Amino acid sequence: MPRILFGPALRILPLGLLALSLQRLVFAQHPVNGVKLQFVLAVVVAAGAVGGPDRGAVVGFVLGLLYDLSGTTPLGLVALAYGLGGMAAGYVHTLLPEPHWWMGSVFAAVGAAIGELAVPFLGQMIGESGWITPRLLVQIPIVAVAAGLMCPALMPVGRWMVGVKRKKWKVMVE
Amino acid sequence: MFASLSRRRVILLVVLTCVLLITLDKRGNPVIDRARGVFSALIMRPVDTATNTIVLPLERVWDGITNYDDVRRERDALYDQVQHMRGDDVKAQTAILESQELLRVANLANTLDYTSIVAKVVGGSPSNFQSTVEINVGSSRGLKVGMPVTDGAGLIGRITKVFPDHSIVLLATDPSYTISAQILATSEEVAEAIANQVPSISPGTSSTTTSTTEPLPFDEPLPTTPPTTALPTTTTTTILEIIRETGALEGQGTDSPLILRFTDSSSAVTTVRVGSIVETAGGNSSLAPQGIPIGIVTRVVTETGSSNAVVEVTLNAFLDRLNFVFVTLFEPNPNAVGR
Repeated sequence: MPRILFGPALRILPLGLLALSLQRLVFAQHPVNGVKLQFVLAVVVAAGAVGGPDRGAVVGFVLGLLYDLSGTTPLGLVALAYGLGGMAAGYVHTLLPEPHWWMGSVFAAVGAAIGELAVPFLGQMIGESGWITPRLLVQIPIVAVAAGLMCPALMPVGRWMVGVKRKKWKVMVE
Repeated sequence: MFASLSRRRVILLVVLTCVLLITLDKRGNPVIDRARGVFSALIMRPVDTATNTIVLPLERVWDGITNYDDVRRERDALYDQVQHMRGDDVKAQTAILESQELLRVANLANTLDYTSIVAKVVGGSPSNFQSTVEINVGSSRGLKVGMPVTDGAGLIGRITKVFPDHSIVLLATDPSYTISAQILATSEEVAEAIANQVPSISPGTSSTTTSTTEPLPFDEPLPTTPPTTALPTTTTTTILEIIRETGALEGQGTDSPLILRFTDSSSAVTTVRVGSIVETAGGNSSLAPQGIPIGIVTRVVTETGSSNAVVEVTLNAFLDRLNFVFVTLFEPNPNAVGR
């Protein structure tokens, strides 16, 4: 029972709501060079960087769905884009079983770039015109760098959210 | 949750679910619309309120530390601006009264025929790709999709989603925003523009199929200077003949000016000049009544090899500082709303 109650499913939702609220009230109100930093995406890629591609995709899907529900984007669009971003960040685990924090940050930045870039491209595919503009060249690096910088602070949150523990390596002494 | 499924299956499940949801939403599923309303009202709003309680004091302290000098400077500038505007206000009130009298005489409708509802902006879009704001008034106060929204300075956008107690406003800068607009210029300005740009063409030949010249219903033009002047030869008069160039005004993104494309590509470029006033054009297929101020022309670029002009329009309203807005209870044509 406790496993069900305190499992990842019930941790993602409240944390996702909190992240979305911070996005709407803080990060959307204070753009950097006209670009709104994407805190929800940063949480997604941090979760992906600590949990792997599948967990990253699921967290991206759930948080993206909340994002879609709170706004006017077609339901599932941001969920799919953030799912891709979380999955991309999770591929850091294909390099090392326990990657360094800075490697997680680099992959988180790449994942964030993919997630943010996927929104206009997927939008274009389903008929949302006008999202692909030259301004993406400014927007994507800012969002990606911000997510990479926020990632080390968000990794413990992501670890708790997806229910993975840091691996502890022990030396066998005879 | 994750262990029971293989990685590929999890990712495939996520992708397929998203595609299904997108398809349902794009087809206008009412269940999804209701889910959005419930999520916003019952889940997101309490969370936002709680977060705001914690974040707002911190934000104010930070703003106080970092922006104190800027705020003082801005306050002083605003005092000056208010003094100037008090003078302008008296002139504007007189002009409005005159205008209303003229419209009454000519039996024409105007924007003042529609009532407005005041709403407070309670949130903005968290995304970099959509320019929307959320207001705290919804269908319970008579709001409907498509209604124009203004602030004190002019048009800011239109209602795109309505819930019982809140609505989403699509801002005019959003790339999906389009509205029928007209550029107003007095014939004096037009004559000057033509003289500056195309000296060989006389003003009388500049009118095009989309330009409609509407002389106001007077026998004599009104003088702009008092008629008590002692030297009649130096008295200047404004020719009360308004040239209207009609077209579609489109948003280009948050940091870009709006673009006006003329209904007819043969519209005379020469009649448009920087500083001309842009307002809603009205009409059966428009999303707003005629006469809502939008902005001013800030740039006119003639396309190479053609007579077409791209007219950049800067909004009167500051969209990044919206607080209270007015929703005009004008019900647009349903066919226009769908666009």
